[in-house]
Amino acid sequence: MPAQSLSNPAADPRKNQLLAALPRAEWQRWQPQLEAVELPLGQVLYESGSTLGHVYFPTTAIVSLLYVMQNGESAEIAVVGREGIVGVALFMGGESTPSRAVVQSAGHGFRLKAQAVKQEFEASPAVMHLLLRYTQALITQMAQTAVCNRHHSLDQQLCRWLLLSLDRLSGSELQMTQKLIANMLGVRREGVTEAALKLQKAGLIQYSRGRILALDRPGLEQRSCECYAVVKKEYDRLLPTTAL
Amino acid sequence: MNDHTVRDDATSPPNQLLAALQADEWQRWAPYLEWVSLSAGQVLCESGDTPAFVYFPTSAVVSLMSSTRDGGSAELAVVGHDGMIGIAVFMGGNAMPSAAVVQATGVALRLSASTLKSLLQRSVPTLQVLLRYAQALMAQVAQTALCNRYHSIDQQLSRRLLLGFDRSADDALSMTHEDAARLLGVRREGITAAAQRLQQGGVIRYWRGRIRVLDRARLEQRACECYASVANEQSRLLAC
Repeated sequence: MPAQSLSNPAADPRKNQLLAALPRAEWQRWQPQLEAVELPLGQVLYESGSTLGHVYFPTTAIVSLLYVMQNGESAEIAVVGREGIVGVALFMGGESTPSRAVVQSAGHGFRLKAQAVKQEFEASPAVMHLLLRYTQALITQMAQTAVCNRHHSLDQQLCRWLLLSLDRLSGSELQMTQKLIANMLGVRREGVTEAALKLQKAGLIQYSRGRILALDRPGLEQRSCECYAVVKKEYDRLLPTTAL
Repeated sequence: MNDHTVRDDATSPPNQLLAALQADEWQRWAPYLEWVSLSAGQVLCESGDTPAFVYFPTSAVVSLMSSTRDGGSAELAVVGHDGMIGIAVFMGGNAMPSAAVVQATGVALRLSASTLKSLLQRSVPTLQVLLRYAQALMAQVAQTALCNRYHSIDQQLSRRLLLGFDRSADDALSMTHEDAARLLGVRREGITAAAQRLQQGGVIRYWRGRIRVLDRARLEQRACECYASVANEQSRLLAC
């Protein structure tokens, strides 16, 4: 698809797989309401407990859902990229959530006003079905994070996390500091440095100031705990697949 | 609603989701609900299976469990009279990659999965109640992920006991050290030491596999913030 690959991902909402899966009538209603947004690294889309004004559909950006403790420490409970939507509380109910949504990898996305997504969710069975299946997949990702945090080594978790991120990017390079990874995984930075060095020595990644290049993806999959595959399988089962 | 035996069964506390149904909805549901006894250890649904029934516990308590390939386990969430088992039936995809295992013997009302689907097709308010519950359950799972990362076994055991007591009709739980170790995904020795500390502090009394709470306020102090976060989020979402 030469024409497609030349197009600017920032301008094409259908790079988000949920938007791409909307039936024609729904897509025609949504299209004029979608607003293109730039999502720079570190931007907070919503804070824990705040009322959500929009839902976000990342196209090239990746967003982390973090749980934050009273002392400020946090841990990532799920990542959302072009396969998903940020702000499920708007259609699930409750208007706010205890999680914080932060851009973890800079890029673009589209947003839709809270009122619009609520109306569409109630008016269109196809939209409801699509968004609930996505939420179910998201719950699986959170559940797997809970088990992973209990049972797996930092090396395994780092591989899982890199793979989840790589799946949501078009290339094999992540713009990422070790401090950021440590915050996401809820571990000390020294631990991440050590784990990343091991992966580099094994020839799986190349790490240099603020960027990680994946060199051997099957190797990363082998080193990862099963959690990556469990989540991927469930996403594949529940979500629409679109030719990218 | 007062004229219905299923809802007003005097021997059991009501299920909060069923209690939240509107009167006309309740009339539609009642003929399909069936009382079942659930015994500790019973598996209601294996990981990856398509559930034939959904369950609304009244006195029973059910754990959503996840396990790793090498046999490690961890409880993701606790479901009692506050909730239901089988959200995948209305969320979509039918199966969930977690298992539902009865933790405390008791009773529940069950409904066939296909009946639930057809009942929900005609009622937006009821679906909204269930979606808010699914949202609360998601918050519990996420909080467990955070808790597994940061908190001590003492804090986690206290949190788990409080979740259990909240869903129990009396102030004692049947839970051996092995049970608690399996739920928290830690070694039994760690649970034994943590339980001893709670007992020495006069917070709980552990006797022949039963735990009685002696000082609930102090148990809450010993728990991490995760207990209050989950309880607050659930009451916010389900106070309708």
